[in-house]
Amino acid sequence: MNAKLSKESILGLIAIGIFVGMSLFTPRFFSSSNLSNMMFQLPEFGLIALGMMVVIITGGIDLSITYIAAFSGVGAALMMTNGFGILPAIIVGILFALACGAFNGIVVSRIGVPPILVTLGTMVLFEGVILAITSGNAISGFPDAYSLIGNGYYMGIIPLSLLILLFFIILTGILLNKSTWGRRVYMYGSNDTATLFSGVKNSKVLMKVYLYASLLAAVSAIIMTSRYNSVKVDLGSSYLLQSVAAAVLGGTNIHGGYGKVMGTIYAVLIFQFIRNGLNLMGAHSSLVDVVIGAILIVVLTFNFFSDKFSRKKAENTPEKAA
Amino acid sequence: MKKLWLSMTVVFFGLILLAGCVSEESAGSGNSGSSDGETSGSSGEGESSSGESGSDDGNTDIAVVPKLVGIPYFNASETGAEQAGEDLGVNVEYTGPTEADAAAQVKVIEDLISQGMDTIAVAPNDPASVEPVLKKAKEQGINVMDWDTPADKELVDLSVKQVDDEEFGRHMAEKLVEAMGTEDGKIAILTGGLSAANLNLWIEAAKKEFNENYPNIEIVSEKIPTEEKQQVAYQKTLDLLKSYPDLDGVLAVSTPAPLGAAQAVQEQGVQDEVSVVGSALPTDSEPFLEDGSLDTAVLWNPKKLGYLTVALGKMLAEGEMPEDGQQIENVGEITVKDDGKTVIMGPPQDFTKENASDFDF
Repeated sequence: MNAKLSKESILGLIAIGIFVGMSLFTPRFFSSSNLSNMMFQLPEFGLIALGMMVVIITGGIDLSITYIAAFSGVGAALMMTNGFGILPAIIVGILFALACGAFNGIVVSRIGVPPILVTLGTMVLFEGVILAITSGNAISGFPDAYSLIGNGYYMGIIPLSLLILLFFIILTGILLNKSTWGRRVYMYGSNDTATLFSGVKNSKVLMKVYLYASLLAAVSAIIMTSRYNSVKVDLGSSYLLQSVAAAVLGGTNIHGGYGKVMGTIYAVLIFQFIRNGLNLMGAHSSLVDVVIGAILIVVLTFNFFSDKFSRKKAENTPEKAA
Repeated sequence: MKKLWLSMTVVFFGLILLAGCVSEESAGSGNSGSSDGETSGSSGEGESSSGESGSDDGNTDIAVVPKLVGIPYFNASETGAEQAGEDLGVNVEYTGPTEADAAAQVKVIEDLISQGMDTIAVAPNDPASVEPVLKKAKEQGINVMDWDTPADKELVDLSVKQVDDEEFGRHMAEKLVEAMGTEDGKIAILTGGLSAANLNLWIEAAKKEFNENYPNIEIVSEKIPTEEKQQVAYQKTLDLLKSYPDLDGVLAVSTPAPLGAAQAVQEQGVQDEVSVVGSALPTDSEPFLEDGSLDTAVLWNPKKLGYLTVALGKMLAEGEMPEDGQQIENVGEITVKDDGKTVIMGPPQDFTKENASDFDF
């Protein structure tokens, strides 16, 4: 009992194991250039996965999250290409995303449409709006200083984008575990009826969940646009289902009520190590997807049975205690 | 509730603060950029030395990055690239994202840089988005080229183009006149999207050809966009056939457009009255070529394109540059444009009823 590791710690050990394994067996994985390469690749996906996790804790899902990111990127890009400064552009980008998040939040929380339907609709809607604005073209040509957000080093060692990710990891952790809102998010995810009858305004809790997810999407969009010096309708679209996978691999319960920031981050690290390592080995891209899919299924099956096992144990122990 | 709003504002302030320090710090690192540059330079040296040791135990490593993997067009170029690797004795790494997402493609290129390649050839999904990563590759001493779709011209050492845009457009126009059997008729032009640069070049060239050599051809309307979708091209062609019952030909650029146009012609049973010519892959067009609803599909051979990319990548790695009129084995004679870096593979290839079944892309 006392030596038992939590789901997240086991995942963390797996991540370390993969890292060590890749370092031993993949030439150049542990080279300084590849390590810094990975530090730059992590943040954009990590932020989206965190946003997705917060939504999944409430038992929902946000399928529009990458298009919110793209929309916010387009907003920032349009500001910059029209001669505004970096700061106003970032603020407009964030406001664009919050508007999208508010729209999702209103429909989910006030009208009560299931999140998967709402966000499926808004995914197509946002995509359409971006297409109408950009007519499918890329917007590029940002000031040089902007590119430092995604490409620059802080104090010459740590990528700035990684620091931004760290900041949001800590913030999300504090918000979820220490704030009233955070506790209500978990409560809502476990049992929304009970939460409502405990005097919680469910709609407000939900609204903030979608706003927070869109905020993380916006930050991710700023890092992506800065890193790639360009924004297009499908910016980061490959992260959509990956972020769901990372959240679930990180132990987040797809039905809501459970999910830890560190679990998701470990899952993001595992994805990163595997993808990068297999790429370095020269494996075919589809093989990378196969491996990640296989790991996902193995871990989920394992979690399912270990949950079942511990529940049985929990049912048995009170009798003994009694 | 107040607490929540407080935390939200904290988020905002934190973000703004962070954004504030971003620019300042980055300006700082910009000033000390020389030292940064040195460190990255030294790591670059380390990289290149390991690259040399890599070439000691093996041979030249050439990476070819398509827009995405797993579609017939890029599978065909993969076959070509790998065959070239075998023929020329170089290691070919053909890898790309599984979705046509610019972000995913950049990651693949970054990993290739870590892997220590001699040459990286990219078909960018979004030319602007690969700019920073190609710059990084160049800093590490890797030869950079583009193929299939041009990237930033300043950045690449070589740019491989399938066909000459002018020649391709003119060729399609000629083929259409040939299929119509008359130099005096009404035609319409379908395009993928109004802003697609390469499609516009082709259409301009085709129009020039009509103006100069077939002045009696009348183009009935402005070019019609089809959103790169076969279904839309089909709808628009049905509308065209209704509005212009005496239409003689349709010129459809972008790969789904000819298929949609041919589908409409096939359904209306006007194969003999309306000729359709456009740019399409042979396997897709085969069912339409068979009954004449599509007269000729014009494109290039992606297999050869993959082969040529690897062949040129090897030349780059060995410090050579291609010359105009040079003969490349299994590809043919190439043309090099005046800028010295744009290589054109050769004339367009026609796919007709007779030969379409010989190709597997």
